Amino acid sequence: MQLFLEQLLNGLATGSIYALITLGLALVYGIMRILHVAHAAVYSIGAYVGLWFFNLTSSLLLAVLGSMAVCALVGISIERFVYFPLLKHPPFVPLIASIAILLSVEELCRLIAGPQILTFPAELPFPEFRVAGVTVTATITAVYCITAAVLGLLWVITTKTELGLAMRAASQDMAVADAMGINSHLIVSLTFAIGSAAAAVAGILVGIYFNQVYPTMGAVPAYKTLALIVVGGLGSVPGAVVASLLLGMAETLLIGYANIPLPRDALAFIAMIGVLMWRSQGLLGSR
Amino acid sequence: MSGYLITIGTIIAINSIVACGLNVIVGFAGQISLGHAAFFGIGAYTAALLATQAGLSFWAALPCVIAVSAAIGLLLGIPSLRVREDFLAITTIGINFIVEAVFNNFEFFGGALGIGGIPRAALFDLKLRGAEFFCLCLFFLSLVMAACWWLTRCWAGLACFALREEETAAASVGISPVRFKLLAFVIGTGMAGLGGALYAHFMRFISASDFAFPLSVSLLSMVVVGGIGTLWGPILGAFIIGVLPEVFRPLIDYRILFYTLLLLLMIRFQPGGLLGENSAARRVFAKILPGGKP
Amino acid sequence: MSRPLLEIAGLSKSFGGLQAVDGVSFDIQSGEILGLLGPNGAGKTVCFNLVSGVYPPTAGRISFDGRRIEGLASHAIAGLGIGRTFQIVKPFAQLTVLENVLAARGIARYRGLTDIWSSWKTPAERREGLSLLERVGLAGLAERRAGLLPLGDLRRLEIARALAVGRKLLLLDESFSGLRHEEIAHLEALIRVIRAEGVTVLLIEHNMRVAMGLCDRLVVLDHGRKLAEGRPAEVRASEAVIQAYLGRKGSAHAA
Repeated sequence: MQLFLEQLLNGLATGSIYALITLGLALVYGIMRILHVAHAAVYSIGAYVGLWFFNLTSSLLLAVLGSMAVCALVGISIERFVYFPLLKHPPFVPLIASIAILLSVEELCRLIAGPQILTFPAELPFPEFRVAGVTVTATITAVYCITAAVLGLLWVITTKTELGLAMRAASQDMAVADAMGINSHLIVSLTFAIGSAAAAVAGILVGIYFNQVYPTMGAVPAYKTLALIVVGGLGSVPGAVVASLLLGMAETLLIGYANIPLPRDALAFIAMIGVLMWRSQGLLGSR
Repeated sequence: MSGYLITIGTIIAINSIVACGLNVIVGFAGQISLGHAAFFGIGAYTAALLATQAGLSFWAALPCVIAVSAAIGLLLGIPSLRVREDFLAITTIGINFIVEAVFNNFEFFGGALGIGGIPRAALFDLKLRGAEFFCLCLFFLSLVMAACWWLTRCWAGLACFALREEETAAASVGISPVRFKLLAFVIGTGMAGLGGALYAHFMRFISASDFAFPLSVSLLSMVVVGGIGTLWGPILGAFIIGVLPEVFRPLIDYRILFYTLLLLLMIRFQPGGLLGENSAARRVFAKILPGGKP
Repeated sequence: MSRPLLEIAGLSKSFGGLQAVDGVSFDIQSGEILGLLGPNGAGKTVCFNLVSGVYPPTAGRISFDGRRIEGLASHAIAGLGIGRTFQIVKPFAQLTVLENVLAARGIARYRGLTDIWSSWKTPAERREGLSLLERVGLAGLAERRAGLLPLGDLRRLEIARALAVGRKLLLLDESFSGLRHEEIAHLEALIRVIRAEGVTVLLIEHNMRVAMGLCDRLVVLDHGRKLAEGRPAEVRASEAVIQAYLGRKGSAHAA
């Protein structure tokens, strides 16, 4: 029982991190219908830049803020210089460009920071708990709190502010939004900025949680998060979050606890195909 | 010709065959597939198993290899093609990961160690190696290209083109979208399987990681860079993507970076491919030759 | 007389909360030209889409030549001899004008397993395709890439494609819009010739002069419901119809 609870909490933490990464992907897809695989590159950059700032300033707060700023810029640049000019082409063109960016960033990280695994020995200023005989470490508490904060902030922005309204309008129909005086391109850039900043936070959290930062850390999340936005329903951010949490728990419980001999990373895709068979628009997607 | 060049040439020829298959799916029928490497692998594993377990020769096994690859393509194609276009990209990525996981985890396929000791292909007792095997690959490549050429001239191909351009309008003139998408899929995966059989008898040792997702990306890049939907595009693309890493080899540590950056630049500035409409290459050729390239 | 070629009974279609078509019923006799009129947003194109199988109805029956066709797939309905044009033109942009028409000519072959492997690049096919293009006046543009054509020519290309398919029934969705004066007269004449060849025509039209002059009968829709049905003179005089159109003047049209 204790083991189960521990694994459940771990799974929820993993799922929360997936949610932080996937939400950026879901936001971008919702507004541009582009599969932004390079988002995982932004996530890796977030981890490396965060580590660099931390080593420079010894302040985790500055590291997070600096990394978020840098990643927001990177995300906006990718949109402006790569995706925007390719919009009138079939969707696999920006997709290949996105994959090329991911691979290039992996190589750049390797060349600049070295192929070895770097450590991120930061102290997360969160408390430790004991619940039902299980210790919830500071790191896991941090993951829960930060994810909740980011999701909460995003919810407030999208539902309670004019900016959020503009974002939702632009993702429904950009031409109409433009006609109504909404500066769609600005909204698109903001969307990328928000999603990329969230990815930066996720990168730093993962770096600290596993104490590992390495060039190919984006590879697995890149494709797993794609499966997650499909499961959640393409274009649905709440769906992506739900799917992420479920996958995190499923991966940890099924493989860590129940020891089912499935390759961990294929689980996301198997789940995706299963969900698509049952409900072709995903969990929370609209037909 | 040096052995090194022949090896590169053979790899390029095999990749061309597989890329032509992908071109039928993506270029002719307009369906995105990012899992094509899986069918290349299915062909290779089928050939490897038939050769090592059942003792069949390359030629005897070949019809079976193509049939199995096409059949699995049909099976996986049916649910895939019913989903929306954006889903299809991700579904095919998923297929690649799942097929790779199957090859890696089941003892029947040799697990993580793969299958080794695959005998060479033989022609009337002559074991084909080096330049001879290269010629065999060229022979099959010409067959595949002839098939693609015929496809552009027959009603099935015309139906696929119409489907690619405007699915609703194609349906309104009697073209069943599911039927022809599946047809393109089956032809494409069958060709990939053929390439797989050649690969198995060339490398003589295969493992799941040979057919992973990065290869699907390379294959799609070959088709796109060469010119999607054109007849010679996949071959040009296979040549460029096959030759580039070798050209950059002197850069040692930087070669992958250069290669991916070059891919990014090519896609960004020539998304129609080098043989596609309005490409810089076509415009140059239009000035040199009166008719331009096909 | 005999059984109507197309019978529509109680046809309804809703999209989420929006009732686009609500209990529409009418028949088309073989050999007649029927006009489907109504203000923007009345549900005319939705009716077309229901008949041609783009999506299934929420309720109601559609019978063609005595057999039920509601819910059938588009390509199956096309195979029955029903051709259509689209209000928003959908050319096969990368193919040439001739190839666009030949793609439609393949309808007899797409269903089989052997026919699809024979070549379409034969002199006979080329002749047939060119003669279809002649009828709509596009023969001179046969080798032009369809995506480069202006709207008027694209409308005529749609008609040529629909002609290849519609040996029994032709559904024309605003095929006159965007055409120049001479082109309109040419198309009117063409439709009369088509009818003389035994093809029944159902057309959606906003151009009142064309509709009144060309159609044997009219059906008027408004807000998804049938408002009036009858000969042009009767319908033109109908109070309800006048209200529906006059009431629209000055207010914004639905998309």
